[in-house]
Amino acid sequence: MNRQLTAIIGFTWFLILALTVWEGFAAEGPPTIAIDKMTIENGGVITVTGRAPAGAPVYLEVWAADKTVRANRFDNKKDKQTGDVPYIFYLTYDMPAYYKIFVPAELRPELDAIMKEGGSWKFSRALDALGADHAYSVPAGMKIERYKASLMASIIGSRGDLMPPMDTVDNRRRSMELVKARFKTAESVLGADVETAPDGTYRAEIRIRSGLAPGRYHIVAVAGNGLRSQPAEFQNRIGFPVVYLGTAGTSQNILWPFLLTLVVAVFGVLMGAGGGFILNPLLVSLFPLPHTVVAGTVTPTVLFSQGSGIYNYSKIKFINWKLGGIIGCAMLLGGFIGPKLTELITLNQFKFAFGWILLLLAGLMFWQTMPGYLARNKKEQAILKEFKKRAEETALGRKA
Amino acid sequence: MKVEFWGQEFEANMVTGCAGGFLIAVMSSMFGFGGGPFMVPLMTVGLRLPMYIVVGSSLLAIFFNTTMSSLRHYQFGNFDPILFLCMFPAALAGGYIGPQIARRVSPIAVKRLACVGLVILGVKLLGVF
Repeated sequence: MNRQLTAIIGFTWFLILALTVWEGFAAEGPPTIAIDKMTIENGGVITVTGRAPAGAPVYLEVWAADKTVRANRFDNKKDKQTGDVPYIFYLTYDMPAYYKIFVPAELRPELDAIMKEGGSWKFSRALDALGADHAYSVPAGMKIERYKASLMASIIGSRGDLMPPMDTVDNRRRSMELVKARFKTAESVLGADVETAPDGTYRAEIRIRSGLAPGRYHIVAVAGNGLRSQPAEFQNRIGFPVVYLGTAGTSQNILWPFLLTLVVAVFGVLMGAGGGFILNPLLVSLFPLPHTVVAGTVTPTVLFSQGSGIYNYSKIKFINWKLGGIIGCAMLLGGFIGPKLTELITLNQFKFAFGWILLLLAGLMFWQTMPGYLARNKKEQAILKEFKKRAEETALGRKA
Repeated sequence: MKVEFWGQEFEANMVTGCAGGFLIAVMSSMFGFGGGPFMVPLMTVGLRLPMYIVVGSSLLAIFFNTTMSSLRHYQFGNFDPILFLCMFPAALAGGYIGPQIARRVSPIAVKRLACVGLVILGVKLLGVF
C-alpha cells in the first residue's frame, strides 16, 4: 500500500515536472530581437541582440527589403540519372539586392570548409551542412520564370518557351541556385558571427559592407523550424557621389568609373582600339558589377564615337557603303545573338573567355609592331594620306 | 565581289568577309567591345583589301553590330542608365583628349605597352596568378 502510494505520488510529480518543462519550452516561443542602431551610412556594423530558447542555435537572416535585382542561371548540367541536358534558363526579378544568413559562431570550421570549395560550392549543400535550412526563407518565395531554351530559339535570339511555374519545393531549390548565381561566393551570403550564451541570449555583430543597396534592411532571428522573430529594421543611407545602380544592384562611387573610362578612352585612341577591350575586364574585376550589365552598358557608350567617326569618313567619301553594308548585315545577325549568350554564361566563364580574347588581341597588336608589318603599313599610310588629301580637296571644291 | 573605291577596283571574297564578320560580331557583342582591332585584320589580311578602304568601311560594319547589340542588351535589361551616364561623358572627353596626346607619342611604343598591358590583364582574368 505504502509502496503503491509512493509510486503514484512519484509518478504525479514526474508528470507535473515534465509538463512544466514542456510548457516552459513552448512558452518561450520565437526568439526576440533588438538592434543597436536604426541607420548606417553606406555600410557599418550593427549589433544584434536577443533571446532564444536555451540551447537552440540562433541564425540571422538579413536582406535588403526595398531593392531587388535580377538573377538568372542557365542550367546545362547533365542529369546524372537520365543523362539528359535540361537547357533551362531560370530568371527572377525578385532577388533581394542584399542577402545573407549569419550562422552560430561555433560553425566557423564548417563554413571555412565550404569556402575552401571555391567556385564549385553549392548553396543548398552549405545550408544543410550549417543546419541553416529553416533560416532560408526570403528568396524561396521569389517568382521564378523558367524558359526551355533550344538551339533554334538561341539562333533567333529568344529565351525559349516559358514553362509552367514550379511548385514551392522546386521553387525553393531553384531559388538557392539563383542566390549563388547572383552573389557568387559563399562568404557573401554566409557568415558565422552569432554568439549564443547557455541561457539562450545571443549577440552578433553584423558588418554591412560599403557599396550595397540603400533603403530598408530586415533582420530576422531564427531558432528552429517556425521559430522566427519579428523583423528588425534598419536603413542604409548613401549620398552623392555614391549612387545606387539599379540594374547592377550595388552602390558605387561614380567618380571611379568616370576616371577609369576617361583614362581607358584616351589610351584606346592612342593604341587604335576601342576602349571596350580594356574597360570591360577592368570594370568586372574592380567593381562588383555583373558582367551582363557591364557588357550592356559599355556597348552603347562607344556608339557615339563610332557614329561620329563614320560621319567624318563619309564627309571625305572614305567609306565603301557596299562593302561596309554587306559585312555590316552579317554583323547585325551576330549582334543579335551575342547579347543573349552573355546571359547564359557565368562571370567566371566571361572572365575566362575574355582572358583568351585579350591574349589574342595582344598577339595582333604585337604583330602590328613587327618590322614587316610596319614597312607595309608605311606604304599604305602614305597612300591613305594621299587619298585623304584628294578627298578633302574634292569636298572643298564641291563646296566652293 | 568587286569593290570599287576611288576609281580603283578590288576583288573581295564576301563569303569570308561575312562569315568572319558574323563571328566577330557574336564575340564582340557578347563581351561588349567594339571589335575594330579584329575587323581590320580580317579585312586587310582575310580579304586582301588595302588599308585605306578598310578604315572607314570596317567602322561602318561595326556600327551595325554595335547598334543591334545595344538594342538587344537594352531589351534584356542589361543596360544601367546611371552607369552609362557616368561613363559616356568620360568616353567623349577621352575621344577629345586622346588625339591631342597621340601627336606627341610614338604609336609603336604605345602598341608595345598595350601588348604588355593586355597580356597582364588576360592572364589575370584567366586566374593564373
